Amino acid sequence: MNETAFKRLKDLPSQRLLGTGTPLCAGCGGLEALHQIYDILGGRSVFVNAAGCMTLLAVYPFTPFRGAWLYTAMAGAPAGAQGVRDALDLLLAKGRLPPAEDLTVVALTGDGVAYGMGLSATSSAIERGLDFLYIVYDNEGYGNTGQQYSEATPLGAKTATSLRGFAGRKKDLFAIWTAHRPAYAATVIGAEPLDLARKLEKALSLKGPRLLLALAPCPTGWDFDPKDTVEVGRLAVRTGVWPLKEYVDGKVTHTRLPHPRLPVEDYLRTQGRFRHLFEPVRDEALLARIQAQVDDYWAGVT
Amino acid sequence: MYRIRLHGRGGQGIKTAGRMLGSAFFLSGWEVQDATVYGAERRGAPVYAYVRADHGPIHERGVIRDPDLVAVVDESLVGIPSAGVLQGLAGRGLLFILSTTPAALWQQRLNLPDRVLTLAPPAGAPPIGTLCVGAAARLTGVIDEAALVAAIRQELAGMPAAVVERNLDWARRAYAELAPHAGRVVEGGSGTAVGYAAPDWVDLPLEPAETAAPAIHAALTSLRVPTGLWRTLRPVIDYDRCNRCWWVCSEYCPDGAITVAADGTPRIDYEHCKGCLICVAQCPPHAISAIPETEATNP
Ligand SMILES: Cc1ncc(C[n+]2csc(CCOP(=O)(O)OP(=O)(O)O)c2C)c(N)n1
Ligand code: SF4
Ligand code: SF4
Ligand code: SF4
Ligand SMILES: [Mg+2]
Repeated sequence: MNETAFKRLKDLPSQRLLGTGTPLCAGCGGLEALHQIYDILGGRSVFVNAAGCMTLLAVYPFTPFRGAWLYTAMAGAPAGAQGVRDALDLLLAKGRLPPAEDLTVVALTGDGVAYGMGLSATSSAIERGLDFLYIVYDNEGYGNTGQQYSEATPLGAKTATSLRGFAGRKKDLFAIWTAHRPAYAATVIGAEPLDLARKLEKALSLKGPRLLLALAPCPTGWDFDPKDTVEVGRLAVRTGVWPLKEYVDGKVTHTRLPHPRLPVEDYLRTQGRFRHLFEPVRDEALLARIQAQVDDYWAGVT
Repeated sequence: MYRIRLHGRGGQGIKTAGRMLGSAFFLSGWEVQDATVYGAERRGAPVYAYVRADHGPIHERGVIRDPDLVAVVDESLVGIPSAGVLQGLAGRGLLFILSTTPAALWQQRLNLPDRVLTLAPPAGAPPIGTLCVGAAARLTGVIDEAALVAAIRQELAGMPAAVVERNLDWARRAYAELAPHAGRVVEGGSGTAVGYAAPDWVDLPLEPAETAAPAIHAALTSLRVPTGLWRTLRPVIDYDRCNRCWWVCSEYCPDGAITVAADGTPRIDYEHCKGCLICVAQCPPHAISAIPETEATNP
């Protein structure tokens, strides 16, 4: 598809389809991306949601969804999505569901699931060619249980289980997905709604396993003022920490080339989880390592 | 037995405050029980902690319904019935509020003559649980400053030194300011099983799975949840300056609390706006300002 319905910001939907009144934190970057997605996707969908912050979206008797939602164990969302897809396909085959009333099957999970516990189920779902959209809100930790580190936690970030800063490195989930040759994969962020809308539009035009991986600035887990969620997200893109890109037909394209690319410090400084890199003394070595990781990434982008 | 409740919002250190006060009692030789009560909601939502302290083992369980002291970090909660600040204060018990409004006015408003004390947060201090810990410790009259300081150090172990010092400073100031009221909180009797009146429990017998984990057969029921109560600051649009670029404020609002009229005019849904102030930060012509919720006139 070459023509996008989203040429300018004005083309974004002006109606909010996801309900208000959810229990998620004020300023939640994951919720910001989710409402932007739902405004386009709408209620003709089944959300299969693994344990995490977003499970709180629909706590009986309250739901912000117009369509279906169901809850699975942490590792089980892609398997749950398979079950729902199979059930819909059976109903279609038996003629009990008119094709026009088919639903989009969506797996919705945090990074703890997507990068870790649920990876095996995800890998096999992609391998089976499951027709589903997988939305990840990546808040770089186990947010719902108090922000312990996950396999998406970046180098240097303080979490409840890495009080002096995480010593490991953020896993590259986008690369793991694309190595499976899915129908579609993209990184997005709520701070760039037009980019997100175009990618979702493309994903919805395709069939098969599709990924939308959203960086989700998390005021609670990352320790910043809720009003700064958009600014933090924008800096993640402008410093090159969060590359916006997509994978279609075996090819990766970057949809934003940060130019000039700001120093990573500009991003790190906005968040309490990195404060120890600056106070009481600057950790020059670690700051240089984080910058070098980002520089290395972009050196490989042609 | 002392029975104390601490009320605030998620993010104001209420859980930690409960632990600090509990530890301060413990270090002063008391037996202690403390717990925090919060729902599935997050930062901004009303939470409270409760502390019991007695001369011997404490057998009483559950939330405190007849407090000797209620300390409130966030004054905007007092008027919210669901926050339960005033619960159990009808007969006795003291109410302490971090507020710049004089105690006399609160006493009049709440019809609690002589039973409300206030403290204006010291310059530079946010509304934070530690201030209430210092105040509560002094109001009991049985916790000395050394125990208060030791308890705070213990509960903040692992935090940066600057954070610990800041909290100690706040607690000490509140402790000092309330010196004239030392011992104002009076211990209630120690409950016994004899004469115990069971609360109005809701009985939940084991049920079939479809009842215990029911399906919701309705859309958008979350609209019934008034998350607008979480707000301490209210975003207000100045329509004379607004450019009608709804794709900024309405798109960025995580909660979808800014609706867009057919002519592009944005409207903030105060029933649900949680007060994150992203819209204030992002509005290009700075047409949205934040005003304290306590000063807002209802829409
Ligand atoms: C098998 C299993 N282990 C642990 C938990 C407890 N748990 C619930 S949510 C959660 C964190 C999930 O992290 P993530 O997927 O990143 O979502 P987030 O909480 O950040 O939204 C954990 C560990 C669980 N529900 N199931
Ligand atoms: S902890 Fe973070 S991801 Fe979870 S609801 Fe709060 S802001 Fe959102
Ligand atoms: S962002 Fe500001 S100027 Fe634009 S529509 Fe919203 S309130 Fe009006
Ligand atoms: S403060 Fe603004 S952005 Fe935040 S919830 Fe309210 S209307 Fe939405
Ligand atoms: Mg997470």
